[in-house]
Amino acid sequence: MNPVLEVRDLAKAFGGIRAVNGVSFDVREGEILGLIGPNGSGKSTLFNCILGQLAPSAGEVRIDGRGITGMRPCQLNRLGVGRTFQLLQVFPQLTVRENLILAGQEHQKSMWGRLVGRRDAGLGEAADRMIEFFRLSALAQEKAGSLSYGQQKLLDVAMAFMAGPRLVLLDEPAGGVNPTMLAGLRERLREINAMQRATFVVIEHNMEFVMSLCTRVLVLAEGRIISEGTPEEVRADPKVIEAYLGG
Amino acid sequence: MIALVAAPFGLKPYGIYLLSLWVVMTIAAIGLNLTLGYAGQISLAQGAFVGIGAYAAALLTTSGWPLWMAFLLAIALSLAIGWLLGYPALRVQHHYLAFVTLSFATLVFLMLRNEEWLTKGVYGISGIPRPTLFGWAAKAPIAFYFFCLGILTLVSLATWWLVRSPWGRAFTALRENPIRADSLGVDTRRYTLMAFAIGSALGGISGVLYAPLVQFIEPTAFNLNLSLNLLLMVMVGGSGYFLGPFLGAAVSVLLPEWARFGSDALYLIMYAIAVMVLMAFCPSGLLGLAHRVLKR
Repeated sequence: MNPVLEVRDLAKAFGGIRAVNGVSFDVREGEILGLIGPNGSGKSTLFNCILGQLAPSAGEVRIDGRGITGMRPCQLNRLGVGRTFQLLQVFPQLTVRENLILAGQEHQKSMWGRLVGRRDAGLGEAADRMIEFFRLSALAQEKAGSLSYGQQKLLDVAMAFMAGPRLVLLDEPAGGVNPTMLAGLRERLREINAMQRATFVVIEHNMEFVMSLCTRVLVLAEGRIISEGTPEEVRADPKVIEAYLGG
Repeated sequence: MIALVAAPFGLKPYGIYLLSLWVVMTIAAIGLNLTLGYAGQISLAQGAFVGIGAYAAALLTTSGWPLWMAFLLAIALSLAIGWLLGYPALRVQHHYLAFVTLSFATLVFLMLRNEEWLTKGVYGISGIPRPTLFGWAAKAPIAFYFFCLGILTLVSLATWWLVRSPWGRAFTALRENPIRADSLGVDTRRYTLMAFAIGSALGGISGVLYAPLVQFIEPTAFNLNLSLNLLLMVMVGGSGYFLGPFLGAAVSVLLPEWARFGSDALYLIMYAIAVMVLMAFCPSGLLGLAHRVLKR
């Protein structure tokens, strides 16, 4: 099976600092790949290079075999690539429902078609389904800025799925979310993965979350991949224990 | 709306003129509110677009062309120039963008003043005729007021549609978090340019009405003061609120005139203090203040 995402020799330097230093890996369709590593190991920079937020210094990124290096984030999104950010990124002045409609509207019709078409861009029902799926029904008409941190985090993740993406890169989805909500988030991600055959790459520090969600894990340290394998293999790798997990 | 239709009756010509000026300035402020309030792009050049519209109207109508031709020309010119002015916004933001647009406003003023072959420079253009529509001459102050009010109604309806459409949502997203918006497929570049182009076009439309309202224009009417005044209208009314420009323009155009009859020397000082207090304690303007009070 062809990989959905191929990363080849990707590098990003900031002056003399090589934040990402020759990283290569593939992500197969339907896979949930975990990306772990200590703070400053280059995980978020790697995401930003893959997703067009930063221009890589070297290397190549392909999605479904198509070179996407240098594409803008909005172009990537239209190719079916979704993402969340490390820090919370919802639109506080829009309601929960409008946040979700916004997250999918640019995939509907042409720009002019959206101007003269329906106010909800035909996404009202899809947004309501997503709200129900993420257990946010009571908050649908609330402004996103008035939600609790955990609820905003759920909304943030839900938004990444509104356009029915093939590949979603999630940057610390579990950060700051309480354990009950976290279990719910894990279930939602598993369900989407199973239903839509959506492929995920997940950066996370919460080991329990990563190990229970991901089918394969990459470990990054100082901009390089130091280990790769199933959660069990990675957890037992002495290099990983030394660099990240500790004894 | 009924109040606006009934308002000019019983007013002296100067009162009707002020009311018409409020209508004309509201249109320009609605445009700036779109660019700044909804899409979050600061512009100190809105006055320049009013100038472009006014000169388009003055030059065409004094040469015998009908006013609707001036509308077409002004809209086309301001859309195109506004689009171009949006390009710097793709690179710089906030006060840097303010300086870029400020330079543009100065450039337009200098062109209006110095290119005498076209604009007659400091002598200005006089005798600008008021339009005739399907045989109905909008020459009297009250008739021209209704003509302006009609255009304001059209502009308001179109803007209402726009801000409630997916475009309006994308503009808000652009203002609140352009990086996230981009990652959700919102073409932030195109929406930024659109916000400038459409906002500027409304400035142009306002100018096309301004010229036949005052019937004599000269460059200083469109210098930086006008741009700052329009910015003040948007901020005082409530940036990002649909009705903000209506209220802001009323405060800026009508209130000083009304207050002037009270205490001549003090009104400007009082007005300035009121604006400063408002901006310091409620940066979201009068409608933001009302919103806060009503929520309690």
